[in-house]
Amino acid sequence: MDIPIEWYLVLSAFLFVIGAAGVLTRRNMFIVLLSIELMMNAVNINLIGFSRLHDNFIGQHFVLFTMTVAAAEAAVGLAIVTSLFRNRQTTMVDLFDLLKG
Amino acid sequence: MVEKVLFIVFAALAVGSGVGVITRSNIVHALILLIFSFVNVAAIYLLTSAFFIAVVQILVYAGAILVLFTFVVMFLNLRQYQSMEQLHPVQKWVALIMTPLVLAEFVVVALAATWTAVGGPFDRETVAAGGGNVALLGERLFNDALLPFEIASLILLVAMVGAVVLAAKEGREFMETRAWADTDEERIPEFVEEEV
Repeated sequence: MDIPIEWYLVLSAFLFVIGAAGVLTRRNMFIVLLSIELMMNAVNINLIGFSRLHDNFIGQHFVLFTMTVAAAEAAVGLAIVTSLFRNRQTTMVDLFDLLKG
Repeated sequence: MVEKVLFIVFAALAVGSGVGVITRSNIVHALILLIFSFVNVAAIYLLTSAFFIAVVQILVYAGAILVLFTFVVMFLNLRQYQSMEQLHPVQKWVALIMTPLVLAEFVVVALAATWTAVGGPFDRETVAAGGGNVALLGERLFNDALLPFEIASLILLVAMVGAVVLAAKEGREFMETRAWADTDEERIPEFVEEEV
């Protein structure tokens, strides 16, 4: 017996909203990056669920590419955090409000 | 029936540790909770019989991305910021109002719509007869999505070069910080003393 697609959608909605709340509320840049990973994971759950529902592999291909982009995003994001921390000695995102090199 | 019970258990654990991620003030605790959440999501992929994706989820997310996060967190001395205010002063109220509304909207739409399966070529029996999930997924990937696959490798290369360029120190500064390592003078960064 298959798990209904609605369950995947509801689980994914919960994880996505948790990630969005983390991005909105937290000041620490690391937690913001972790919340973005959480949101990407929520999208992946949807893709896997629909891949199962429609009995094809397209959703699973999309998940592979999402993971590639997530890995690239994490590497570049962490590099930006490192260089920002070196310049400003903080990781609180609301303190980075100057457009000045 | 067993599948549904397991789905509920893993989903509850994933959502619970997800809430933990955004409420901890210690970043390492948040990281470990996020790894736990990803492992639970991998278990859900296993229940959905997406076996390759489940293994890649653990290898890439829990194994590579979050270990990278942990390394960077340990590079930077962040303990002194734990006592600071962690929540954004204005946006936390916006999030408190908006996120339940958006969640309710998602759930209502997901439950109200009727989802019809189009009935693709790879149902459980076909996949089992054709050599399993991994073999067929790879075969379809290299037949249907070869160009995106190659572009993905290019994206990874660009991200790697970009990360090195962004994170590398300036030339002269790097040489200066290295200089003391060759002399007898022992320099302990002050934060190491603070930690003890």
